[in-house]
Amino acid sequence: MRTAGVVRELFRYPVKGLSAQPLDQAVLEPGGGIPHDRTFAFARPDGGYRPGTRKGLSKQEFFALVSDHRLSGLDTSFDVETDVLVTRVAGHEVLEADLGTEEGIATALRFFARVLDLPAGVLPVLAREPGRRFTDASVAGDDSMNWVSVVNLASVRDLEARTGAAVDPKRFRANVLVDGLPAWSELDMIGEEFDLGGVRVRAVHQTKRCAATEVGPGAGRRDLPVVTLLNRTYGHQLMGIYVEVLTAGTVEKGAEVVV
Amino acid sequence: MSELRLRVSGSADLTPTVRRFALTDPRGAALPAYEPGAHVVITTPAGHKRSYSLVEPGGARPREYVVCVRRDPGGRGGSASMHDDVAVGTELPVSAPVNRFPLHPSPKYLFIAGGIGITPVRAMVRRLRAQGRSGVRVLYLTRSAGDTPFLREFGGSDDTVHHSDEHGLFDLWPHLAEPDDDVRVYCCGPAPLMQAVRTLTAHWRASRIHMEPFAADHTSISAPFKAVWAPDGREVDVPAHLSLLDALRRDGIPVESSCEAGVCGTCRLALLSGEVEHHDSVLTEDERLTSVVACVSRAVSPEVVVGPRDHLRKDLS
Repeated sequence: MRTAGVVRELFRYPVKGLSAQPLDQAVLEPGGGIPHDRTFAFARPDGGYRPGTRKGLSKQEFFALVSDHRLSGLDTSFDVETDVLVTRVAGHEVLEADLGTEEGIATALRFFARVLDLPAGVLPVLAREPGRRFTDASVAGDDSMNWVSVVNLASVRDLEARTGAAVDPKRFRANVLVDGLPAWSELDMIGEEFDLGGVRVRAVHQTKRCAATEVGPGAGRRDLPVVTLLNRTYGHQLMGIYVEVLTAGTVEKGAEVVV
Repeated sequence: MSELRLRVSGSADLTPTVRRFALTDPRGAALPAYEPGAHVVITTPAGHKRSYSLVEPGGARPREYVVCVRRDPGGRGGSASMHDDVAVGTELPVSAPVNRFPLHPSPKYLFIAGGIGITPVRAMVRRLRAQGRSGVRVLYLTRSAGDTPFLREFGGSDDTVHHSDEHGLFDLWPHLAEPDDDVRVYCCGPAPLMQAVRTLTAHWRASRIHMEPFAADHTSISAPFKAVWAPDGREVDVPAHLSLLDALRRDGIPVESSCEAGVCGTCRLALLSGEVEHHDSVLTEDERLTSVVACVSRAVSPEVVVGPRDHLRKDLS
């Protein structure tokens, strides 16, 4: 049976753990991910990341929302054209750093060392590896590194209806929010191909959720036990799927999803 | 928690809605020690249990506990019972003092109090200023001068008292824009003030920001404790803002985890000694006697001894 849905929103997260950046469109290539998604990260100085690391690492090697919920209290925007990272607190600019220069990187690292409350003299490591991205799925291999994350808004609404909690879909930090599909139908699609706004994709994996989803977007703290709500309501911790891009094309907001 | 039975030895209205109560031992004995930031739990004549901060700096052998209670007409009756049912001579069950809002050493301080939130802040500021300390700044936000307990005590050059009825909402940003690792911020007041301070200090070190815990969101109440890592006896301080899991990892102790939400049980540790408040949804009641899920559960005793799962005592597990 043919079901039609719609691409409601598109996001990229240029720096792992920092703010979402909404997109009007995303140009996709076979086997590729959303351009500039998670191409930067702040790595733990005593962890597994070293400049030049060419393999996927666990999210625990990086500063990220699951461990560092205060990061969500910062409103960050990263200009992928100029490499300039701007950070605001309640609308006030508190950091402007050009990550294309040593000086800018040093400024950013000092700033985040304070936000992350690292001991005196300890700085995070700016992770940036050409051609690589620091997605959670990258730990499973270089193919999964580029998987695009998709959340079905009907499933989020079902969770809201069954728990009475307001669940902001942005908690799940997906690349694509789709609507118009039956709730939870996405979990049954693994292995199937479908049309995501004109781009052929294959559903490859269900997304198991961790406590990063408990962090309210913009709130700077964990404010809703999403994993527990999922577990109690459905007996699983799943929300959303990963898809692999099969054909080249441009996904636009508002485009049709045909399953 | 040990309970005292204290007599109201004095009471006075500080403002039309705030009444001060002094509580002393009926036989005149010294009371259990406390430090600024401590609170007691009073059982009101109507049976409510209510936490009130102690407004005097305290010490080793205080003669009295002093609390200030704002009558809350929209409340659930605790403050009304204190105002209506308590007089000089009334005896009340009072807990020993507990301090979940301790004053940490710091080169400088910024205190932000909203309304009756002044109570723990006053104890702290009086302690520090009695020591002759400088660099103790106070922002005290109330509706009007008539609604401001201890108004005359906050007229110094380091004090800003702001009345919103006259001047509108206070702009906190100029006081918080530049994060300073040498300043500790202590905030107590209504939830919107606490939320504003939390928001406006997102670029500060979390360890420098202290929020009065029982006025805060109840889901985020947490007290610091010490964890001893059984394999090598290492002592790890678990501050209020870190989970047991994060604190152990910060000290270089590798603990595996997955969901970090208390559901999967990957970070389960052996609990060898100490009391724990369990917040996980994975352990059975039996397992909770000997295990702790480190990502969500916290100690209620000052110290717990934990170890890897293979330290689980075979006779109990």
